[in-house]
Amino acid sequence: MKESIKMLPMYASMFGVPILMVLAVLSYAFYPIVSTAVLIPLIAIGLLFFGLIGAREVYLHKYTLKGTEIPYNINRTGEAARAIKDEPNGKKKLVIVIKRFDVSLRKMVVNKYEVGIDRFTTVLDILLHIKSKTDNTLSIRYSCRMGICGSCGMVINGRPMLACETNVLKNAVDDKIEVAPMQAHPLLKDLVDDFDDFFDKHISISPYLYKRDKNEQYLAKKEYKQTQAEIEEFLPYSYCIMCGLCMDACPVVNTNPDFIGPQPLSQVYRYYADSRDEMGDARIEKVDVLEGLWSCEYAGACSKVCPKGVDPATAIQLLKATAMGNLIK
Amino acid sequence: MQALDYDLVILGSGIAGMTAAIHASKSLSKSKSIAIISKLHIMRSHSIAAEGGISGVLYPGKNNDSYELHGYDTAKGSDYLADQDAVEMLVKNAPKEIRFFEHLGVPWSRNDSSDIVFRAFGGMSIKRTAFAADKTGFFMMRALYDTITQIENITKYHEHFITKILIKNNKFLGLFGIDLASGEPKLFTAKACIIATGGYSRVFNFTTTSHSATGDGTAIAYRAGIPLKDMEFIQFHPTALVPNGILITEAARGEGGYLKNSKGTRFMEHYAKSVMELAPRDIVSRAIVSEISKGRGIVQEGSMIKHVYLDLRHLGKDKLDERLPMIREITIKSLGIDPVEEQIPVKPAAHFTMGGIHTDINGNVFTGDGKGKILGLWAIGEAGCVSVHGSNRLGSNSLSECSVWGRIAGEAAAKLISKGGQANDNTAKELGEDAEEELNKIIDSGGSTSPYYIKAELQKTMEAHMYVFRNKKGMEEARSRIAGLQAIYSDIFIADKGRVFNTNLRDALEIKNLLDLAGVAVACAINRKESRGAHARVDYKKRDDRHWLKHTIAKQTAKGIEISYMPVVIRKWKPKPRKY
Repeated sequence: MKESIKMLPMYASMFGVPILMVLAVLSYAFYPIVSTAVLIPLIAIGLLFFGLIGAREVYLHKYTLKGTEIPYNINRTGEAARAIKDEPNGKKKLVIVIKRFDVSLRKMVVNKYEVGIDRFTTVLDILLHIKSKTDNTLSIRYSCRMGICGSCGMVINGRPMLACETNVLKNAVDDKIEVAPMQAHPLLKDLVDDFDDFFDKHISISPYLYKRDKNEQYLAKKEYKQTQAEIEEFLPYSYCIMCGLCMDACPVVNTNPDFIGPQPLSQVYRYYADSRDEMGDARIEKVDVLEGLWSCEYAGACSKVCPKGVDPATAIQLLKATAMGNLIK
Repeated sequence: MQALDYDLVILGSGIAGMTAAIHASKSLSKSKSIAIISKLHIMRSHSIAAEGGISGVLYPGKNNDSYELHGYDTAKGSDYLADQDAVEMLVKNAPKEIRFFEHLGVPWSRNDSSDIVFRAFGGMSIKRTAFAADKTGFFMMRALYDTITQIENITKYHEHFITKILIKNNKFLGLFGIDLASGEPKLFTAKACIIATGGYSRVFNFTTTSHSATGDGTAIAYRAGIPLKDMEFIQFHPTALVPNGILITEAARGEGGYLKNSKGTRFMEHYAKSVMELAPRDIVSRAIVSEISKGRGIVQEGSMIKHVYLDLRHLGKDKLDERLPMIREITIKSLGIDPVEEQIPVKPAAHFTMGGIHTDINGNVFTGDGKGKILGLWAIGEAGCVSVHGSNRLGSNSLSECSVWGRIAGEAAAKLISKGGQANDNTAKELGEDAEEELNKIIDSGGSTSPYYIKAELQKTMEAHMYVFRNKKGMEEARSRIAGLQAIYSDIFIADKGRVFNTNLRDALEIKNLLDLAGVAVACAINRKESRGAHARVDYKKRDDRHWLKHTIAKQTAKGIEISYMPVVIRKWKPKPRKY
């Protein structure tokens, strides 16, 4: 039931607009049988319909948020947990296949290595081992190794993941694990992507708390009022570590590089939903364009791959609903 | 070599560096330019991994808390080696910084009447640590980065590795380094520079810190003849996850977690009866290592590492999900252990380096002779040593330190720049060319030793002899081993000859920095014949205020490391035996 309600905005945006257009064409074709006097109310009713859905979605969102108690996907980690604990101790051998971008050849090359692992080994552990022992030239971007700095996003067995959080035993298929760089960002070297465009897109949505009284914001004499309940409104969207995995997973980003993408849009919602923010609807107007909100087809891949439980797909639908709602306001 | 000129360059983009950038930009006119340089993407610095919270007396008088008490706790926690004028500065300014971060968007945990709430931390006699679940550093970093994106005169240099700081006649001139993405050498000239490159805990392998915590700024300053202070004091965090060393925040104990040995006893009652698990970190770390060496540790299957348990089961799922969600996420993802149902295996790991670049109370860097200051150079956060933590930092004081001195140094640098100042002559360019030559030598080095071998050996040595308990024999051995490694460093081989994103070269440069800093730390530790704070010697078990209530100052000379001492600033809080 909840799922289907969640899908309503998608159906509305998929079918609502074409239906309205067909109605408009029909009424024009049958003019003067169907006059503008009919057409205008029809469109008004249509817009009202979207507005209601928007309002309902916002209401439901508030309701469902409280049900989301853990900011990460417990099912996936739970599975991993069982796998690690059930594994026998001691070393085990497996093969890692590294698809890497060769700078001088300007193309992808494939290396295979046999490595020893234990039940704790992560993909990052293996890559660093290979770099220090076997092939010093291998380039990886990494830092914190605890899933918070967002450096080591790559494609592991076909799925965008953080190397430092990915347990090898759990994810190996037939004693083999395959890593490749993300494809939605330009390639730099080996497993390293160029993030310049990604950062530019993030910056383009004004990702900061906007206050009209800037001076007071810097002086910070007294805390802004905000209850824990108001914090929960944006908190799930503030977990973004800018790893870029959602962009790599998004089918639209991969086919249309102009689409701003799930990461920046989720951050639009993060600041829009913050009761302290004073930019208001101007935030949404900025992305209320074809290459903004309206290129999202609600595939939901972004939310599925997010390692921190951010749900860009829902954020975008909430923004769409709010944009629609504002239209009839 | 590309030459770039700015008014201010900030080296390092953690909480200290970015805070400094924001305050400097606010104090400067829009025509002045600021560059912020990081060897990582700017928002990924190690500050992002800070978990527990930031200390500060936000509501003085409430709960009987006061600046005075925060200061006393800090001085006592430091084992009286902290400069107390700096401590007073910290406690007075910390609350302002918590509010500032709130105004930038950090979601501090709050109560129903929207007051910021606090949690207990080790060595803090009253709850005064503000937090955002257990991702405090992450939220502060995101707020800072996001704020910086709207400031037009701050240019961001992601992934630039600085190899040399250019100083002449005690005046800062510029920085030389390479752009990792392209491999292009770059010279940054500026009127002022703030070093905020963090600590060097990666001299150990078992550490809570990021792979990037290699003390690069401290090392290049040292090689430029700048003195370092109190380098022997390296903090070991009591609860690092076994086997990978990931930090399990002190807040886990602040929220009520227990430490237990193999017999299931809360052993802290034998070491710090009045505060139990909430004793300062040095005391808890020594307690854990003692328990393990007395045979009351547990051996982890697979890794065979000996550890004790952190028990959070009695806190319940709801509290863990509200207050410590990341701890639960980390233990589940890396060990398959859900702290709701099972105990967490932990042991002490290198966490924070109290020592750093020798600065005055405003973060201004001292000259080689220790008498004057270098014009236009500041060092703040973990990279510098003002010294506010003395021989042992209290948990949650570091985020306050970074933000307080970020503001102080940022504003001080802005003031210097606003005065106008010197036109750049050719000196910086000449020094930059020398630096480029040095770098090229390393790139072309055709030796036979892998830098990764040197790193592994260094870390092994440090773990064997410079861990929680130290003694003369072990440290002497470490000294000669490190000297040996420094000798073979000249024979390294860099396999990657490419220019684009050459992490092989970057690693080799980082390892050089680690080697130098480890050498200084060991030399200072051998010299200090007492036990104080994090520096615990089995051959000198007592604190000795008569001889050793003084800061160690170390600098590089042609003859090697030269060590001298300077007095500690003692004001309100006179040294007395440290009991908990």
